[in-house]
Amino acid sequence: MTTHTPHVDVHSGAHTGTTNYLNNTSGFMSWAGTLDHKRIGLMYLIGVSMAFLAGGIFALLVRLHLWSPDGALFTNEAYNQIFTLHGAFMVFLFVIPAIPASLGNMVLPLMLGAKDVALPRLNLLSFYLWVTGAALAMYSILAGGFDTGWTFYAPYSLYTNQAVISIGLGIFILGFSSIFTGLNFIVTTHKLRAPGLTWFRMPLFVWAIYATSILQVLATPVLGITVALVALERTYHIGIFDPRLGGDPVLFEHFFWFYSHPAVYIMVLPAFGIISECVSVHSRKPLFGYKMIAFSSLAIAIISFLVWGHHMFTSGQSTYAMFAFSFLTFFVAIPTAIKEFSWVATVWKGSIDLNSPMLYTLAFLIIFAIGGLTGVILGVLNVDIHLHDTYYVVAHFHYVMMGSISLAFFAGLHHWWPKMFGVMYNESLAKLACAIIFIGFNATFIPQFIMGSRGMPRRYAEYAAEYQPFHQASTIGAMILGCGVALMFGYLLASLFAGKKAMQNQWGGVTLDWMTPTPPPLENFHQTPVWRGEVYDYSTLDLRSTQTPVS
Amino acid sequence: MFAHLFQTPQEPQKSFYVADQGVDAWGQLTPLASTFDHVDHVFYFTMWMCVFFFVLIAAVLGWSVLKYRRVRFDQPAASNVTHNTPLEVVWTVIPLILVMIIFAWGWKGSLDMAVAPQDARNYKATAAQWSWTFRYHNDPGSSLNELWLEVDKPAAFTLESKDVLHAFFIPSMRCKRDVVPGRNQRIWFTPTRLGDYHLFCAEYCGKDHSLMYAKVHVVTAEQYGKRPWDTEDPDPKVNGQRTYEALCKSCHAVAGPNTAIAPSWFGLYGKSEAVIEGGQEKTITVDDAYLIESIRNPSAKIVKGYESAGRMSPFDQGQVSDRKLGFIIEYIKSLK
Ligand code: HEC
Ligand SMILES: [Cu+2]
Ligand SMILES: [Cu+2]
Repeated sequence: MTTHTPHVDVHSGAHTGTTNYLNNTSGFMSWAGTLDHKRIGLMYLIGVSMAFLAGGIFALLVRLHLWSPDGALFTNEAYNQIFTLHGAFMVFLFVIPAIPASLGNMVLPLMLGAKDVALPRLNLLSFYLWVTGAALAMYSILAGGFDTGWTFYAPYSLYTNQAVISIGLGIFILGFSSIFTGLNFIVTTHKLRAPGLTWFRMPLFVWAIYATSILQVLATPVLGITVALVALERTYHIGIFDPRLGGDPVLFEHFFWFYSHPAVYIMVLPAFGIISECVSVHSRKPLFGYKMIAFSSLAIAIISFLVWGHHMFTSGQSTYAMFAFSFLTFFVAIPTAIKEFSWVATVWKGSIDLNSPMLYTLAFLIIFAIGGLTGVILGVLNVDIHLHDTYYVVAHFHYVMMGSISLAFFAGLHHWWPKMFGVMYNESLAKLACAIIFIGFNATFIPQFIMGSRGMPRRYAEYAAEYQPFHQASTIGAMILGCGVALMFGYLLASLFAGKKAMQNQWGGVTLDWMTPTPPPLENFHQTPVWRGEVYDYSTLDLRSTQTPVS
Repeated sequence: MFAHLFQTPQEPQKSFYVADQGVDAWGQLTPLASTFDHVDHVFYFTMWMCVFFFVLIAAVLGWSVLKYRRVRFDQPAASNVTHNTPLEVVWTVIPLILVMIIFAWGWKGSLDMAVAPQDARNYKATAAQWSWTFRYHNDPGSSLNELWLEVDKPAAFTLESKDVLHAFFIPSMRCKRDVVPGRNQRIWFTPTRLGDYHLFCAEYCGKDHSLMYAKVHVVTAEQYGKRPWDTEDPDPKVNGQRTYEALCKSCHAVAGPNTAIAPSWFGLYGKSEAVIEGGQEKTITVDDAYLIESIRNPSAKIVKGYESAGRMSPFDQGQVSDRKLGFIIEYIKSLK
């Protein structure tokens, strides 16, 4: 086979010495005012990791409290605030921005062969909006907290005397951060692809971020409008959602889920993108069914706007609405299944390197299978009536949001860590942490499936004694999971100070992100790359680059 | 700084849920106690189908990892195929057929759950933060946080909320419906097994969401005929205390000073108190008329200091009849 190596000099880092995006300038302002997508991505990475740790601590407090049926630690009011904080931090500050804003920012322009995103100033603005939203969330805690659940269901969110307006404003602002990032990535993907990099030669991570961005731009305004209406209703008593004023609380649910169902895919599509990359690179094999995976992302993006009612099967919708929502929900299952099968088929007969990013990826494939399949069970109308608002649902969406999305995020973090920093973490510890996280995660949530289908409702500060063994198992699992995550952050941070040098192309990737010097210089490529071959063609892989340490 | 978040040790044991007859060590679902067996059938069918697909995926992954592990750093993939049309058609069409079957089956079941049979007994369940009040078919009586049903007799409920969203959920009966203020929703089921069951509130509704609980007693026709819900103690104070425990305890203390949530009832009767009426502050003396107004229409006069606390919803005849109101007043008088 002839080689189609793109016009990129893999070793060009050598003649520029050691300047890269991390060390080409220094000082506080060179970071705080940077327009470099990599630095912005890195600042996001720090931000979302802190939000994840905060959300994780709230989760552990929730689990500790549920050790005993009467509640082991907190008053009921305090418990309600803590589970709300857990949900709000994890969803709005971590899962939604995590992958697109941190890894997406970092990698998307590299993959496209671009110098930066199309609108670097807007990118920096998005970051500061995120920081403002996070600050408002912190302020809301200091101002007494909020106890509405992350779903802010009316009319409770209208009556409770807590800091609902400030957190609402925070979410409103975070929404703009998300919209701007989405816009930026759409424009970047359309305009800044390297010459020769046609749509069907783009890596699947780019497709995934592109589909996500469309959702972000179209769906997020509805969330902004909804929280704004809640704030208006609380202050001016207009009568939109408040039944005492003639409003309709079910309308709130429609508004909320019109955003929040697509939001599930805003969160999960980027994770799919990472998994597509990792599966291919670490199996050294082109993706099976590339076009099917790309199109299924778009199909999911479109159908996801039409299924929000499946969160409301018990709210008293008309039976015809239920028919349509359940039917369409099953249609999301098909593209999702196609993706899972295609990944498995990619691994099959690959050249499988069992390194830590691949272990996280395999863990994802297992956990996502469970998360997706239990979603099918929940989509069935009569069964959902029993399972709705129980721990079964809690376990299902944690399999998707925590198990799948966070694990994909970790996979991406381990995959691009050597690219981002030019150093490698301790692989043995990384494999150990992955195993601990996998075990802890399943130990936390499998018991929740069982108690949920036996009727344990969610958001309970106290519960009937027969559920205690499951709660205790879940709490122990959560502690194990917590240890795994702590270990992971520990060795990742340690690698920055004492890590071995990474290789130029640590894993043997053949997309453009692996063809810049490691870590990339300020404008990513010394010359504009020209793409000639097909995507994921491992016959072009220059194996020397996987054995040459960064200079 | 954080001390107020934690439970105080002297707080009483609150575990008050009944022993549900449905508890079973092995089933994935609680044992069924109603006629909605299609829920269980679809659930178990779908579950085993999912188990099948899961095992398939895990097996292919596991086998690939064992068989095709990279042992030399320059080892290429054993195959570079990226397409196999028959395979792709199979894994699209078979899941599609399966999910359509499941969908249709579940939809049919949900139709069965939608409309109550003609001969159903009608009940009314009133949800309020954080209690359930039940009224019975053609019967003047009512019961609080306890519900009696006759076995094998369809029971249809009208669900009414006094304040925020709640949800009526009896796991053993496989039924759940949100209780939405301003919209009366309906739900029905036929209990088929004698025993006591949980009725949970499944939609988050604030502080004591998890204590918004009722015991469901499914009894024989003979026991049902004795109207077990209509029990009154000869001592009015005892009746008043029962109502207090069911409806008011989650906010009001009966010993000690006022809490952040609501005024204490200790020494309330006869005391003079500052209240806000129509924005004006004034001083009143707590007497029967004031107590009745405070319960039927709490926002008429708001105790000073509680202007921005969580609201107390009004209690009407349906939840607290005039007779019960009298008992509560007797009970409040006794708290000195
Ligand atoms: C959701 C919490 C809540 C529940 C449940 C509740 N109340 Fe109240 N109640 C309050 C609050 C807050 C106030 C003070 C504001 C006001 O006067 O409306 C209050 C005030 C009162 C007062 C006037 C007290 C005073 O110091 O003047 C009476 C009497 C009263 N409630 C009776 C009842 C009765 C009887 C019940 C049960 C049938 C009940 N409440 C249930 C929250 C509650
Ligand atoms: Cu959804
Ligand atoms: Cu509730």
